[in-house]
Amino acid sequence: MKFIDTARDPWHTITGEDGPMVTLTPAPHSLLTLAQWHSVRSAWPAGMPVGVQFPNDADIEDLADDLPRLGLVALHFPKWVDGRAYSQARLLRSRYRFAGEVRAIGEALVDMMPLLQRTGFDAVALRADQSIEVAERALNFFPGHYQADVNEHRPLFKRPPGQETTNREFNQAGSAI
Amino acid sequence: MYQYTPFDTQFVKQRAAQFRDQLQRNLAGTLGDDEFRALRLQNGWYIQRHAPMARIAVPYGELSSDQLRMLARIAREFDRGYAHFTTRQNCQYNWIPLPKAADVMDLLASVSMHGIQTSGNCIRNITSDCFAGVAADEIVDPRPYCEILRQWSTLNPEFAFLPRKFKIAVSGAKEDRAAIAWHDIGLQLLKNDAGEVGFKVLVGGGMGRTPVIGTVINEFLPWQQILVYLEAIVRVYNRYGRRDNMYKARIKILVKAEGQRFLDDVAEEFKKILELDSDGTEQIIPQAEFDRVAAHFVTPAGVAPVAGSRIEVPADAPAAFQRWLERNVHAHQLAGYRSVTLSLKRTGQAPGDATDTQMELAAGLADRFSQGELRVSHDQNLVLPWVRESDLHALWEAARSASFATPNIGLLTDMIACPGGDFCALANARSIPVAAAITERFDDIDELYDIGDIDLHISGCINSCGHHHSGHIGILGVDKDGSEWYQVTLGGLDGSAISGHQSTPGKVIGPSFAADEVPDVIEAVLDTYREQRSSAAERFIDTVTRIGLDPFKSAANAQRRSTAKA
Repeated sequence: MKFIDTARDPWHTITGEDGPMVTLTPAPHSLLTLAQWHSVRSAWPAGMPVGVQFPNDADIEDLADDLPRLGLVALHFPKWVDGRAYSQARLLRSRYRFAGEVRAIGEALVDMMPLLQRTGFDAVALRADQSIEVAERALNFFPGHYQADVNEHRPLFKRPPGQETTNREFNQAGSAI
Repeated sequence: MYQYTPFDTQFVKQRAAQFRDQLQRNLAGTLGDDEFRALRLQNGWYIQRHAPMARIAVPYGELSSDQLRMLARIAREFDRGYAHFTTRQNCQYNWIPLPKAADVMDLLASVSMHGIQTSGNCIRNITSDCFAGVAADEIVDPRPYCEILRQWSTLNPEFAFLPRKFKIAVSGAKEDRAAIAWHDIGLQLLKNDAGEVGFKVLVGGGMGRTPVIGTVINEFLPWQQILVYLEAIVRVYNRYGRRDNMYKARIKILVKAEGQRFLDDVAEEFKKILELDSDGTEQIIPQAEFDRVAAHFVTPAGVAPVAGSRIEVPADAPAAFQRWLERNVHAHQLAGYRSVTLSLKRTGQAPGDATDTQMELAAGLADRFSQGELRVSHDQNLVLPWVRESDLHALWEAARSASFATPNIGLLTDMIACPGGDFCALANARSIPVAAAITERFDDIDELYDIGDIDLHISGCINSCGHHHSGHIGILGVDKDGSEWYQVTLGGLDGSAISGHQSTPGKVIGPSFAADEVPDVIEAVLDTYREQRSSAAERFIDTVTRIGLDPFKSAANAQRRSTAKA
């Protein structure tokens, strides 16, 4: 999981004084709103890195044809308990085989880490008050899970004996239990 | 019973460790109460009137005597000496201080128990028939399927934050004892003409403010595909269920609003998972996996059919024993065996409650008479599933001295009731005093027998934890101007045999009644039934269906005193 340091992040949104600019000049590592992307997609230079911020109430299927041109899809959590983006990420990875970055934006909290990682996010812009150290710890509580996910395509029952555990570095619970 | 593998054991221990980490951050002030709320809910910790309420999962209602002893110990050491069994086959505590929560989770983990997904907007603990694996009318034992679904739903990362809670019930018998049509997903196991096993799938049932009966979405889904099919349903719900209004967020509202389009969306999503997704076909359950899980649910060693067995009734046995045989003892798959209900409905205790001592006694009865195994029933009783017919008299005597032998199963006082306003922060009104008043009013066992089979369900608020919608008589607590009132419904059906295998919400018989009028209203309704029934054999619900609500309405309205003035 990559933790985004906004100050060093090469990706930048294109914002004017009154919100996202409608007319824009293609520049590398632009992170566009969906509306911006729609307005420039036919003219976007081949090979110039571009990303899209995708709202969680739109159909991710609509982005399928554009995916080969995108380096980043940023999925939005308007509230951290709104789980729609988990389905979007999973479809991006499992159904559309999207290989670029899938980033969580919005209200991204440390306790979402295991869910983000298992549904296909590989980057997160944590809310400013969150601790990266706690987020990293949150990723390592479980030795493995029952279901398949985007990283382990086999559910527990399809894994050969000895390979049930997919995370060997997990935080062992103390001897107290 | 399912025995945890080393993986399962490690998993619940790590879940307890994860919860301890979250709790410590909350107590240290680095994890705000509001954010901690959603995390503690998914481990079963609510904040209630007096203290947090802890809801412990009893997967598909199966419980070992050792687990029940641990529940007793937790009641004794951390609570005030009792616990409450719920309509969803879980166990609840009301007085455990939150800072002790992680210690309780560790103790539970030591006996393969937890509170995972017993609350929150996720897939809840899966419920089933309390007679699964022993019922005489069983088509397919649902327990291996329930266990496979438990594993699939546990910490499923895509479905941890759904629009609203999500409940799945599974039945494998001819009689539906799990009220499947009242669930977000109801699964009925069937065999087709070729003898193959599959599920009839219902979707979009639910109680609450808007009672809805589930719609059949698939008449016969081969069992191997069930995880893929559930993923399709829950994904469509996760993406399109309403999140703007929590009262319209259950899947039933989406199914109602979209109609055929919802069914089509699920069919298309199911197809896409199998055809396109990198892990789609991996979720088809192999026979070997089914066999591995099913091996946990074989008949216990030491249990074998007994030829020529019959129930011995000692010549001097009191009538009470005969009545107990009639009401609390149930037909079994194996010759010479019965399952037996330990009634948690008796004067002086709230429906579904048990003290730590009673839980210890029940665990002892399970060890002595039932292979160390118990079930929690949807009707909030305990069940011993493996009792030898030749042991019934000894069991009755032991159960009677432990106050479990009230011969009232299926009768008026075997009512379902939520904890209500005495404990629950959501409730508009109290349930327990109403249940107690009715239990006291109808304390004559002959009268209860004369009234016969009836479902009385009491909820303290519209969230319907006491399933008032599905009661032949339903009582719902409502709040008007800060005081408690009770709405009475008649004719609700839960899908069971005495409900004619039908499910439907009851109809309100008039404006709400005052608390002190309720026992009189119930008595008037039952008197009307006894006057109007075509014969002693006609059940209450059948009389209601035959003559309609009007005679009951006028009898009930004649009981108004305080509400007559309003």
